[in-house]
Amino acid sequence: MSTPALRLTDVRKSFGSTAVIMGVSLDVAAGSRHAIIGPNGAGKTTLFNLISGRFPMTGGSIALHGRPIDGLPPHEINRRGLSRSFQVTSIFPRMTVFENIRCGLLWSRGYKYSFWHLMGGQRTLNDQAARLLADVNLETRRDVPAGLLSYAEQRALEIGITIAGGADTILLDEPTAGMSRSEANHAVALIRRITAGKTLVMVEHDMSVVFDLADVVTVLVYGQVIASGPPAEIRANRAVQDAYLGAPAEAA
Amino acid sequence: MEVLLVSLLNGLVYGMLLFMLASGLTLIFSMMGVLNFAHASMYMLGAYFAFSVSRVVGFWPALVIAPILSGVLGAVVEMYALRRVHRNGHIAELLFTVGLAFIIEKGVQMAWGLLPVPYRVPPVLDRPLFHIYGSNFHAYRGFMLLISILMFVGIWLLLTRTRIGLVIQAALTHPEMVGALGHNVPRVFTIVFAGGSVLAGLAGVIGGNYLVTEPSMAATMGPIVFVVVVFGGLGSLAGCFLASLIMGLVQTYAVVLDVSFADLLARLGLKVTSATPLAEVLTMPLPRVGALLPYLMLILVLLIKPRGLMGTRDT
Amino acid sequence: MSAVGTAARPIEAGGAAGFVRRHWPWLAALAFAVVVPWFSYDWSTGRHSGFIVSMLSQIGISIVFALSYNMLMGQAGLLSFGHAVFLGLGGYVTAHVLNATKGGGVPLPLELTPLAGALGGLGFALVLGYFATQQRATAFAMITLGIGELITSCALMFQTFFGGEGGVSTNRMTGHSLLGMGYGAPIQVYYLIVAWTALSVVGMLLLTRTPLGRMANACRDNHERAQFVGYDPRMVRFFQFALSGLFAGIAGSLYTLTYEIVTYDTVAGAMSANALLMTYIGGVGVFAGPVVGAVLIVLLQSWVSLLSNSWLVYAGVLFILMVTFAPMGLTGLVLMHQPIWRAGRMGRLLGPYLRLLIPALAVTVGFVLAVELCSFLTIGAAQGKSFTLSRITVDPRSAPPWLIAGALMVGGGLWLRFAMRRFGATWGAVSEEIKRAEVRA
Repeated sequence: MSTPALRLTDVRKSFGSTAVIMGVSLDVAAGSRHAIIGPNGAGKTTLFNLISGRFPMTGGSIALHGRPIDGLPPHEINRRGLSRSFQVTSIFPRMTVFENIRCGLLWSRGYKYSFWHLMGGQRTLNDQAARLLADVNLETRRDVPAGLLSYAEQRALEIGITIAGGADTILLDEPTAGMSRSEANHAVALIRRITAGKTLVMVEHDMSVVFDLADVVTVLVYGQVIASGPPAEIRANRAVQDAYLGAPAEAA
Repeated sequence: MEVLLVSLLNGLVYGMLLFMLASGLTLIFSMMGVLNFAHASMYMLGAYFAFSVSRVVGFWPALVIAPILSGVLGAVVEMYALRRVHRNGHIAELLFTVGLAFIIEKGVQMAWGLLPVPYRVPPVLDRPLFHIYGSNFHAYRGFMLLISILMFVGIWLLLTRTRIGLVIQAALTHPEMVGALGHNVPRVFTIVFAGGSVLAGLAGVIGGNYLVTEPSMAATMGPIVFVVVVFGGLGSLAGCFLASLIMGLVQTYAVVLDVSFADLLARLGLKVTSATPLAEVLTMPLPRVGALLPYLMLILVLLIKPRGLMGTRDT
Repeated sequence: MSAVGTAARPIEAGGAAGFVRRHWPWLAALAFAVVVPWFSYDWSTGRHSGFIVSMLSQIGISIVFALSYNMLMGQAGLLSFGHAVFLGLGGYVTAHVLNATKGGGVPLPLELTPLAGALGGLGFALVLGYFATQQRATAFAMITLGIGELITSCALMFQTFFGGEGGVSTNRMTGHSLLGMGYGAPIQVYYLIVAWTALSVVGMLLLTRTPLGRMANACRDNHERAQFVGYDPRMVRFFQFALSGLFAGIAGSLYTLTYEIVTYDTVAGAMSANALLMTYIGGVGVFAGPVVGAVLIVLLQSWVSLLSNSWLVYAGVLFILMVTFAPMGLTGLVLMHQPIWRAGRMGRLLGPYLRLLIPALAVTVGFVLAVELCSFLTIGAAQGKSFTLSRITVDPRSAPPWLIAGALMVGGGLWLRFAMRRFGATWGAVSEEIKRAEVRA
């Protein structure tokens, strides 16, 4: 078995005396689509924050493609190929949509902290940004300040920024939260297209999205994994039904 | 040795005065997130109000009236101006208080002139209280210590024994939560801001005649109070108390100990001559460098331990 | 759907014509700066007005200083209370270099002297910025406050580099020049300032269009998101801080060349506050904002100071009003009119603006009167001056002037509130109309 894209080994996190994550071990296979579900307060977003380096772990270790990323700052982890989106939309509101996407590209294109390249003349960069813009269907909103977009448009932009850097491991935190049915369907189609060939880990509450997209589902309850496996298996799992899904009154 | 003991007493007196100022600022900063640049201006206004009022009715009524005037001013500023600016974010609030401090300084210059005013210690307290090691401990210093301790006890009782005090304590560390729990946070904010201004005004009343009452006193005292607040840490009055005393002692001892870095090096056997690079820096005696110390401490604290001594939150 | 093409922008008019069309305000300002001293040229004596040239030089220095400050404030979201440190240190370095040149050691042409200030500003910004940029937001502001006060105290204390209280004097007539000029006359220094100001403006404008400039904006908007696109916000802050110090150093050099002396007040809090004032009032959200602010503040300072002691009071009140009611600054206020201008409905605002004018004027006159009365009552009396308006002497100790001031402020204030509300209603109505028209279109 090849190295998993992401391996969590007995990860623990306490805020003061409150234990939030209590020994989570998880393998995410490269190229798979992995969903993490669970009731509110289970620690799903905290887990994401630990993986992406936003918070330090209290115990355990996390490895990205076999290399440990414990204690690395978020930008370091991002440079190693892991990118994430946020539950509360996190974009650059005063910059235009095009600029937002372009910022997502800069580091991976090697620009670093350059103050001698003029953006206007960077043809490859600008072409790539335009292509990404088209990918997330935001071409018509190109020069609008990102803060003025509608909610669904901002979520799409967020996804665009997340994948812009070419990361091969993508973490999406509730990508369809707050969306209508049709908006969510669009988002799922976008996610499926855009993460083709990459490793996707997502936190989701919308079960139809989960069972539509995911290859593997992990259930997190009170900071611990109670089940992990293919969607059908999870749907039928007794413990999961008790804790979260509820017994099927009719076939879902 | 005697000098050190005498300085200890003086440092404690000064430290308690600083605490009177810094406690209000810590409360305001911790609860409202506003670094109130105009806090030292309330100190200045307290001294000037006391000066003018005491010329009419004497020192003792002024001791009560002047802080109240400062408090009223603080309440008005909070209710009618700061609340509006709050919408524009923390930086806007900070800039507002910077502008306010500036205007108050200019206002004081216009109303009372550019030179120090003769705000004097009341004659009944203008005598030595006791002798220690050949120097007098001035009665007014004892008075200052008394008022500071009374104030300290008063705050402690207020915070621990009253309902509003409990709300303030909670809001010190978790302001948003307090609002979510249904307390009238804007009213609490006004009370804290006004209360802080009263404390600052009181500090001005008793400190203005002991130190000097002039238009630049706010600009001189302000940064020192910031250092104390940051040093003590956000959300912690105990840390503020500790930091005030430490700062009081440091500033007092710095003036008294006439040594320089070069003297220290000489003890280690290294001689500093005029040819040594940075000779000027090394031979500067401590009392002259004293002005630098608070700023050095501010920078060092923010770099090494940004949460301060006993802080519970980040700035 | 348009084809994804090159440069991803509609093809713009190329060549010189296109360049002029796009940048005409800047070019017009430059032309104006070159020509304006000649408006006050006395043809009989063959001299320029000293006052005007001095004021214009100050404007140039202030433009560079304010723009460098906005690299931190508006572009990177960093509030600094100690920016004058880099202006002053650049000035001190330049003074020492000039003295060394005079002594025959360094054959540096005067035209290139601001490079010394640039290097000085950059060097000190790298060292001090290394510490300051470890924090952000309020902690950063406090550290810069500490650094500013620290350096000011040092400037007063130490003789070798700072010259203590007396400062460092120098002479700009070093005899080295690329153009063979002596630079004794202020007008010659002025044109040198114009040249370096133009260079600095172009430099700082281009910097905003670089990866560093854009990421500074990104870190300002959302420093966490910036981390998650691979950037260390600390490094972005650090480099932006260093470059802003570079340009502040250039301003410092120009200062030294103009006044030929540098003292501790070039690094002091008041100078830093000046940068804050100019930048904020002009507007932090637009590149040209600080330019507008610098011009306005220097003009007001020069003219108001001739008439009154209380210039700083007026500046402070203006600042507080901007912070409370117009945090986007003057350029921001003007830009707010853009949609209305584009929809051709500016005419609708003309009447409401005129109706605002009179009460606003009344309040302002009343306030100025009150301030001047106060000032003459205390400070003026101590200086033995009396309050004269054209030929009428006003006695600040009598009641009538105070009553007039009070009536103007209170009456004007109430009227103003009423007029503001009506103005707001009109503005809202016009904006609504425009929005509905857009939706229909």
